[in-house]
Amino acid sequence: MHPSKSIIFFTVISGTGYGIFIGLLFNILFEEIVYTIEYKLFLSLVSFLMIVTGLLSSTLHLGHPERAWRAFSQWKTSWLSREGLTAVITFIPMVLFYYFWIINIKGYILLLILTSIFSIITIFCTGQMYASLKTIPSWNNRLVTPIYILNGITVGSLFVYSLNFYFNYKLHLFEKFIYIIIILNFVTKVIYWISVRKKSNTTIETAIGIKSNNITFFEGPHTGKNYLTTEMINAIRKQNSNFLRITFCILSFITPLYMINQYSYLVADPFILKISMIAVFILSFIGMIIERYLFFIQSKHVVGLYYGEKY
Amino acid sequence: MTELPKKTNKKLGLVIDLDICVGCHACAVNCKEWNTSGHSSPLHDVEPYGDDPTGVWFNRIHTFEVETEVKGSKTVHFPKSCLHCEDAPCVSVCPTGASYKREEDGIVLVNADTCIGCKLCSWACPYGAREYDETAGVMKKCTLCVDKIYNENLPENERVPACVSSCPTGARSFGDLADENSEIVKLVSEREGYDLMPEQDCKPVNKYLAPKLNKDIFKNNELKPISKDENQSFEDWIEQVQGASK
Repeated sequence: MHPSKSIIFFTVISGTGYGIFIGLLFNILFEEIVYTIEYKLFLSLVSFLMIVTGLLSSTLHLGHPERAWRAFSQWKTSWLSREGLTAVITFIPMVLFYYFWIINIKGYILLLILTSIFSIITIFCTGQMYASLKTIPSWNNRLVTPIYILNGITVGSLFVYSLNFYFNYKLHLFEKFIYIIIILNFVTKVIYWISVRKKSNTTIETAIGIKSNNITFFEGPHTGKNYLTTEMINAIRKQNSNFLRITFCILSFITPLYMINQYSYLVADPFILKISMIAVFILSFIGMIIERYLFFIQSKHVVGLYYGEKY
Repeated sequence: MTELPKKTNKKLGLVIDLDICVGCHACAVNCKEWNTSGHSSPLHDVEPYGDDPTGVWFNRIHTFEVETEVKGSKTVHFPKSCLHCEDAPCVSVCPTGASYKREEDGIVLVNADTCIGCKLCSWACPYGAREYDETAGVMKKCTLCVDKIYNENLPENERVPACVSSCPTGARSFGDLADENSEIVKLVSEREGYDLMPEQDCKPVNKYLAPKLNKDIFKNNELKPISKDENQSFEDWIEQVQGASK
């Protein structure tokens, strides 16, 4: 599938914004931290901007962005519609949470729990939109939606972690939470990569309905490209995709694991360390962009069979 | 709107005979010609006279070489347009309701006034029946010539989709596939018409008829070269060839 920049950017940045609430919820529930007003304002602003820019960029790939409001109507059948609707509903507990938390009114924990639940539901809808497409075998996989959710939580938590680190908050359990999430994410991803090697039961034989051991593509409908070939038929060389997979694992999984585990042994200026931890978050974010790029470029739509693509 | 109708009164569709199709592309050309001034008009082309032209077409002909049990392989011309599926996945994924399946005749259409151009429907269609019009920013697709088949300004025998009326070999038939007494349903049962990609569970309305494999074609009647006998005319030779392929 064609890796559309606005879709990749949208899913990663809004996923991270939603993931921040999960990381923060864990901190508020299990860590004894007294948050300063600067921390609260900064986290609120960043998470809000991430979600808003994500949603706005999602409308950029539309042919008619001015009609985007119509997409809220078909929630009965369409995951895209559900995604849009849950994304908007999430703003209600989210904005209330910001207000209650910053002013320090009781009840903000309940609002944060609500925001976290709706955040996960929103990412779930995004994942399901892809996972429900039978036409793209590598997306029509049970692990696609969990990976979307885990990716959001991973990068979101790393943001909260780097911010806590910057504000010198002492942590006990949050580091372990990040270890578990990253390892879970990595294992799920590896199982996913193995499971998508399985061949689809849609073949050229079922596509044209003729039984034969040897069907070759003789001639296309035209000599040039068309919408279908540019949108659905994309490929990346195996060595490049392997390189990008490894880069993704290093940026999003290994670097944060190493830094969180080893920072206390590193001889460095505390300020440099703080900046490095923010860099760790940014690198893991870049890693997720690479992962999402691969998710698109490596997926094959069955329509390719009609254009002589081999599966 | 994007909920599919439980049952449609009619199932209008096409039956395409791969045994007859000669791959002349006339159906695709006539389709473009009719539809560029019809329901979804215009079907934009981008750089039509440039180095790299692209454009919206509702019907395209692919050609495959199929190895058969019988000696040699067979060239199969394969025209493909929207199959107007009963369980059309392109309709249920639409977030705005712009994609819909008509209850009265089962035709799948796009409302160009409410389509936001998210392209999700084209991803959901396994057959590549939907094509995005970059210039208009909306999705377009085969309308089964809804503006021709009900058009009372045309003589009754011309009220068939443009691809059907232009086919010089009669490889395309149009009709109501829900009507068990219709010619088209008889043709499907006679020739064991089949669905494309049945495992995708779209229940396409359009059916395809497989190319015939005449196993005896090379057995007893190997084609002989034209006789040196000066009395044999060209017509005689044609008869000889026709006799061999029966």
